[in-house]
Amino acid sequence: MALTFFRGLHTHSFLMYPSSFLSRKNGMLYCTMKSIRGQTETQEKSQHQLKVSTQTQSRKHDDIFKNFEAIIGIETHVQLSTLTKAFCSCPYNYGAQPNTSICPVCMGLPGALPVLSTKVIESAVKVGLALNCNLSLSSKFDRKQYFYPDLPKGYQISQFDIPIATGGYLDVDIPLEFGGGHRKFGITRVHMEEDAGKLLHTGNGSFSQVDLNRAGVPLLEIVSEPDMRTGIEAAEYAAELQRLVRYLGVSNGNMQEGSLRCDVNISIRPIGQLEFGTKVEIKNLNSFSSVSRAIDFEISRQALLHSQGQADQIVQETRLWEEGAQKTVTMRKKEGLADYRYFPEPDLPGVTLTEEYVDGIRCSLPELPEMKRRRYEGMGLNMQDVLFLTNDINVADFFDSAIAEGADVKLAANWIMGDIAAYMKNEKLSINEIQLNSHELVELISSIKGGTISGKIGKEILFELMAKGGTVKGLIKEKNLVQIADPVEIEKMVDKVLADNPKQLEQYRGGKTKLQGYFAGQIMKESKGKANPALLNKILLEKLNAKS
Amino acid sequence: MGPGPPTDGDSSSREPAIRAYSTNETSNYHQIKFITMAIRAALLLVRATPLQFSFNPKQALVLKQNNRNYAVKSSLEPPDVQRLAETARISLAPHEVEEFAPKIQQVIDWFGQLQAVDLQNVAPAIRADNEEETLRDDSPEIFENRDAILAAVPCYEDSYIKVPKVLNKE
Ligand SMILES: [Zn+2]
Repeated sequence: MALTFFRGLHTHSFLMYPSSFLSRKNGMLYCTMKSIRGQTETQEKSQHQLKVSTQTQSRKHDDIFKNFEAIIGIETHVQLSTLTKAFCSCPYNYGAQPNTSICPVCMGLPGALPVLSTKVIESAVKVGLALNCNLSLSSKFDRKQYFYPDLPKGYQISQFDIPIATGGYLDVDIPLEFGGGHRKFGITRVHMEEDAGKLLHTGNGSFSQVDLNRAGVPLLEIVSEPDMRTGIEAAEYAAELQRLVRYLGVSNGNMQEGSLRCDVNISIRPIGQLEFGTKVEIKNLNSFSSVSRAIDFEISRQALLHSQGQADQIVQETRLWEEGAQKTVTMRKKEGLADYRYFPEPDLPGVTLTEEYVDGIRCSLPELPEMKRRRYEGMGLNMQDVLFLTNDINVADFFDSAIAEGADVKLAANWIMGDIAAYMKNEKLSINEIQLNSHELVELISSIKGGTISGKIGKEILFELMAKGGTVKGLIKEKNLVQIADPVEIEKMVDKVLADNPKQLEQYRGGKTKLQGYFAGQIMKESKGKANPALLNKILLEKLNAKS
Repeated sequence: MGPGPPTDGDSSSREPAIRAYSTNETSNYHQIKFITMAIRAALLLVRATPLQFSFNPKQALVLKQNNRNYAVKSSLEPPDVQRLAETARISLAPHEVEEFAPKIQQVIDWFGQLQAVDLQNVAPAIRADNEEETLRDDSPEIFENRDAILAAVPCYEDSYIKVPKVLNKE
């Protein structure tokens, strides 16, 4: 299990350090499939040519990797989608004019006192419960001191030795294309803290620019146990966290905007060795695919150093993932432990939760991704369907309401994953943005099932519904699309087509029976797509074979 | 990236930015230097309390019990003024180091008096008791006098606060 990643590398050169580590033969990560596919294809193409010449070396490197195991833990910062900052009433809107959402509290002016928003506690409790953690009914805030221009107070309000939640786990289903399987990753802790401002480093100037709008915005830091072994597992863990916070409605989980930030800790060790190797931290991971690729790169880099007897070159440091170059580079080496001088935040009281409060939130939790997946599985859907439908809570809601109205499970899943998903992708729309609602999908499915319209017409109507809205019944009536299921009417059309094509009829009767498809097509055309296909074929066949 | 620890730059380039937040006036600067140092020294004391530094809840429990032993501890380490200055990102002239050392020692001694309190029969608390729940609803309010805040920023240009460059140089 630990080495699924290495298996993926078989045919790729290790000597083409470093970009050749990064190809994915078996498709992209589930969650980011759309955005990066193009890029991968190009990479794979160029690597193909190198394959033959380096195969021998690859095999040798494979052997090296088989001897190592990667230990991966992730720290995730989730920005809460509260209307105000954590400790003041300043509104926070991503992309607002710089330095407009500020006040004495978040600017750290003397005498200003922070006051915690109830929504922050509520969100933390929700996430803590959803991650199966133990909640501290009594926790507190601490000051983490450091100097940086994006931190006006000179300290960050955080939780240090008593976080609000500890000791949980997250269930993850690995997509089939990455080997499949279910994993449980431990959660060490969840704590509340505030964000810092944003620093912009402009071109060649000798200065940096600071925007303090984000200073004081509430974050949850979620720390995992070092339970992951591959880049895929890490990326799937992060994707599951994103789903979780979106299901809970506590964050938009948007990685590009920085609402969900992952820092990865990774070390590798020879298999069988108990003690961990030197831990390296990777930052600047802006997508799930970069999480996965950065880890795979880092494993390769470290394994290579090990195999070359240069393990001492692996030092405790922070490395940055460079998306362009597809590699990690040293950002800063650790010079002794940072000295944050944590101490209890004197301006804030402790955070006290009552059992009733926690129970109230526990009862109000929505169905979470893991529960939904298990439920869908129980409905007979395969894992691919399950993962697709549960990936986006809005898609899952759409599917759920269709099922609640009595739609056939597999048919509803097929429509959503097929034509609807394709349309959403092409038009770059979310399921809430298309004009079709779940009720009309149910109507559509039952109209086809009941024989009112053909599947082909159904498809046409679907696109109209998605683009312009309206109702299935209305469209059928308006366009006169009701399926022709009257044998007499179909017989007339069959007769006409046969009469119009005497030459083909002769050929058919001469043995060219493949022409049946041609006739069927002509008749369907004649009926404007409305003829019941089964009936049409039955009558056609009778007529074709009648006089032969 | 997390909001956490800053990327490492050289401290000298950072200091003016920090100073900007503290004060503009050089007459106050000396005084603020001392206060900062004293706070840092006090923090050093807090730091000496293992409870605050434990990430491991189990360990914390054990140390809480140890907490009561502080009453026994009588003398405190003299301050390493140079080190304090470093962590406070303050550069001190040698004569300032000399001048500050006894003063900071005095502050530490005040805190030292607290160590003498007998806590044998006091249950450990994670926070001082607070009178009542002080929380806030999540309803946004724009602070009216933002202009005054920005007016106090030493270098403000194109809607941004300008600070010395803080990029990592490798
Ligand atoms: Zn504010």
